[in-house]
Amino acid sequence: MFIGKCMLIEKDGKKLLVVGDMHVGYRNRGEAMDIIVNRELFEGFVKDFDAVFSEVGGVDKLILLGDVKHGLSAMAAEERYGLINLMDYLERKTKEIIIVRGNHDNYLGGGLTSKRKLQVLDYFIWKGYCFLHGDRDFPEIHDKNIKFWVMGHIHPAINLEEGNKVEKFKCFLSGKFKDKRIIILPSFLEVGDGVDVRELDRETVWKFDLENFEVFVVGDGLKVLEFGKLKKILI
Amino acid sequence: MANINYIEKPYEKEEVKRILHPLVSEWFFNKFEDFSLTQLYGVKTINNRTNVLISAPTGGTKTLTAFLSIINYLVTLALKNELEDKVYASYISPLKALSGDVFVNLVSPLEEIKVLVEKKGLKMQEIRVALRTGDTTAAERAKHARKIPHIYVSTPESLAIVLTTEKFVEAIKALEFIIVDEIHALTNKRGVYLSLTLERLCNYSVIEPVRIGLSATISPLEEIAKFLVGKDRDCLIANVKLNKKIEIGLDFPGESILEAENQESQKKLYHLLDEIIQKNRTTLIFTNTRAATERIIHFLDLHFPGKYQGLIGAHHSSMSKETRFEIEDRLRRGELKVVVSSTSLELGIDIGSIDLVVMLRSPKSVSRALQRIGRAGHKLHSNPRGEFIVLDRDDLLECGILMKEMIEGKIDKAEIPKNCLDVLAQQIFGMAISRIWDIDEMLSTIRKSYCYESLSKEDFLDIISYLAGEYALEHRNVYAKIWYDSGTKQIGKRGKLARVIYMTNIGTIPEEGFISVVIQNPVEQRGQIIGKIDESFLERMKKGDIFVLGGAKYQYLYSRGMKIYVSAGVTRNPTIPSWFSEQLPLSFDVAIEINRFRKLIKELLKKEKDAVDFIQEYMHCKKHIAQEIYDYFLEQDKFAAVPDEKTIVVEKFKEEKEYLIFHTLYGRRVNDALSRAYAFAAARLKYRDVEIGVNDNGFFISGMDLDEKKIISYVTSKNLREILKEAIERTEVLARRFRHCAARSLMILRNYKGREKSVGKQQVHSGFLLLAVKKISNEFPILREARREVFEDLMDIKNAEQVLRWIESEKIKIKHIRTPFVSPFGLNLMLQGRSDLIKMEDRSSFLKRMHELHLKAIGSK
Repeated sequence: MFIGKCMLIEKDGKKLLVVGDMHVGYRNRGEAMDIIVNRELFEGFVKDFDAVFSEVGGVDKLILLGDVKHGLSAMAAEERYGLINLMDYLERKTKEIIIVRGNHDNYLGGGLTSKRKLQVLDYFIWKGYCFLHGDRDFPEIHDKNIKFWVMGHIHPAINLEEGNKVEKFKCFLSGKFKDKRIIILPSFLEVGDGVDVRELDRETVWKFDLENFEVFVVGDGLKVLEFGKLKKILI
Repeated sequence: MANINYIEKPYEKEEVKRILHPLVSEWFFNKFEDFSLTQLYGVKTINNRTNVLISAPTGGTKTLTAFLSIINYLVTLALKNELEDKVYASYISPLKALSGDVFVNLVSPLEEIKVLVEKKGLKMQEIRVALRTGDTTAAERAKHARKIPHIYVSTPESLAIVLTTEKFVEAIKALEFIIVDEIHALTNKRGVYLSLTLERLCNYSVIEPVRIGLSATISPLEEIAKFLVGKDRDCLIANVKLNKKIEIGLDFPGESILEAENQESQKKLYHLLDEIIQKNRTTLIFTNTRAATERIIHFLDLHFPGKYQGLIGAHHSSMSKETRFEIEDRLRRGELKVVVSSTSLELGIDIGSIDLVVMLRSPKSVSRALQRIGRAGHKLHSNPRGEFIVLDRDDLLECGILMKEMIEGKIDKAEIPKNCLDVLAQQIFGMAISRIWDIDEMLSTIRKSYCYESLSKEDFLDIISYLAGEYALEHRNVYAKIWYDSGTKQIGKRGKLARVIYMTNIGTIPEEGFISVVIQNPVEQRGQIIGKIDESFLERMKKGDIFVLGGAKYQYLYSRGMKIYVSAGVTRNPTIPSWFSEQLPLSFDVAIEINRFRKLIKELLKKEKDAVDFIQEYMHCKKHIAQEIYDYFLEQDKFAAVPDEKTIVVEKFKEEKEYLIFHTLYGRRVNDALSRAYAFAAARLKYRDVEIGVNDNGFFISGMDLDEKKIISYVTSKNLREILKEAIERTEVLARRFRHCAARSLMILRNYKGREKSVGKQQVHSGFLLLAVKKISNEFPILREARREVFEDLMDIKNAEQVLRWIESEKIKIKHIRTPFVSPFGLNLMLQGRSDLIKMEDRSSFLKRMHELHLKAIGSK
């Protein structure tokens, strides 16, 4: 089930909340500006999570689908500050946090993970679901008992057009790949809506038939709207 | 009060000759026959140590005029062995590629004089010249530091940088002359920046240096003089009028202008261009836009395969520096038959002998047109020759008026931005790096600049607060750039990196403007950088689009950060049309002249022969041109109504939506302001999105159920600013300008401890930055500056208010008409299409509507 920008999975009495790319410690090119933006981002994260948790209540596991931190290098001051605050916040809302490692998360760990109920894994398999970032393939995830791949990485969004008006919205994608159902989550961060799926040029590891994937657009107030197959979206 | 006076007449030759040292005089007259008029005005004035603004047309030997009395002075000292180790003169030019000019006018005279001195068996100290621009290497810079130059040549930015160096400040403390060349090209934020740099320089000086400004034809000279010298300083103006006769023509391809833009006539255009090029040795074509430059080269080759191979070159600002230099070099060597340029060749450096300048489409202002044709006949005694070639009737009329103004020597007024807070922030940071300042001394130094005379103490303190980190609440000790102690009232720099940050981020030209184009396919060319394109050009491109750059075609593949990747060797036709938003705005003064002309013709419309004769005489044009213009007016009169200086025609017609066309010929900058205000009123009245289209001759708004009377009475001269403030709040325009201002005020650093790898897709879009800043304060000083820039530099809110006052006082009447479809005068506006959408409907209701549409589609499958 999609709730706002997140996905909620309820199975065997357990509740899992899945969250897409967060890019904490966003860094553009400025210094003063970055501080302002990051404070804004942090407040945005908290506001968005507050809304989700007040809808779903506490959860057993919180899965972060990678690219939790933004910088590709060792932890920068903004990232450390942002991440520590954010993890403090999230720990109060869930029993366990699992981060699947994204391409930005090389230096994640150390001070951040120790003494916390938090694990950093390459992928995480749970009751027929496999959670992964989406930038790397692993032999284990092709196991036939796995029915779902849930991933982030590509920041899917869709341009809706009417006449001269174009607006971009974050969206989920869901479709089939071999014997699996693929679910791709939008990015969780507010900076930029993402990349229009039709303009995706990021080299993906797998050749998904995106044209036939279903599009679910993230609307206001945690609502997610079904728009049908990508190839049918009106231009 | 300062005195700004004109020099009434030039000095006599003997008077000027008398001040020259016999050796300098001998050198001069060995080389030149006589003093030029400019030299007769300028040399003695400078020798008298008076501030002076020298305005002369291109090719008026201005640079040597400025240098001659300084060379004379230094040679005299050097011969007496009295030359000290200090900087005597600082020459500043906005052109980065100024070494050629400096060589001709400074270095080689000094060398020639040295040879002469040695021949006479005399001894002279060496007079050192150092040149520093953004391109100067670290080794050369180090050399300057070791041996103090007597004449220091630089750009505004480089000068600002050296002012933070203690050693240099020591050497320049007793500066005697400041020369600002090409001052007409500095009526922008770069000029504002320079005006503060000069005040910083004077603040360090133990003596007040003489200021010498050199300018091409520009108006109003009094304001430019004040800009040069700053507050409370006297200045003389030498308005040198060389008796150069302007040879200028106006024409269009084909038989009738109505056909000039169809396919067949496109062919005629290239044949006409070919004819002109063949008749002249070297032709320079100005096109206004980068895209048009590319198109001309592309089509000349298409129509005349092989004919121009190796003889034609493109020159525009988005080409790499090396490529541009190469073109300039080949032009000077006479290897090129024709060069096509957008606007980049308008300025400065000598590009050799051009016989004819072709201006394709209107150059939009008299000063620009003069500047352009000045590139032909750059030599002292040859006349500038130019030809306007136009492709539509609005341009025909416009260029006719331009031609009249040029021939009659009228020129439009330039305006210099005032109280720019972003530039101020950068300069205060620079000042704080050099030393500790008392806050009152700092403010009074700043207020000596013409551009900050009226700076309010509140604005100044706001910038101090911003720089001291008082807005960015947490981390403020890390990110503040200066400290301010309100007890001692002192200001100083903060942080070890301050100087590095300042040096690497200095300047006023927004760097985000350009994106590098990199070849991805074919493999053997991979990684090669072809040139740069404008960021906003990229925004219009979709994947797979084909565009032209440097005369070749490329297909857009994808973008990453500040780079786009393309395929080369594409054969298909370009899919990106010319890009109009880079077009130049029509000057308000020329617009007013056109309106006056409209009124005159309107009165003669019933008498065809009289009218045509009148036009011919008025514009100094050929008869068939006058006839075309007459026909244009007659058609408009029959179909609708002719707007003029006393009448704004508002035309309404219906297609799938309603259109209101406002025939307000006041230039794009005024119309940009008016259209957004009226469109905002229309959108607000109905709570629906409204589209707008703007050009120099008017604007349209289109939407559902437009009530023109209500819309018009909604906007007044008193509430315009308020409405616009709301209307631009969520626009891309404001967001982009804000980003520029944020960069200039060093909120966003282009360079910080080396460049971080850019992750293209998650670039903060400027809208988000803007949102974040608004939360801190809606009146954050840099945000206020972005708004000021939109209102005053991008738009022309002052003249828009003026137009509204004219409407309110009924000096101008509004005439409402209904038409079945667009009238002739509105045609170009409609063809050009919409330029923006004023969004009133919010995202969520748009999404809701789109979802309902899709639900139907999904349901019906």
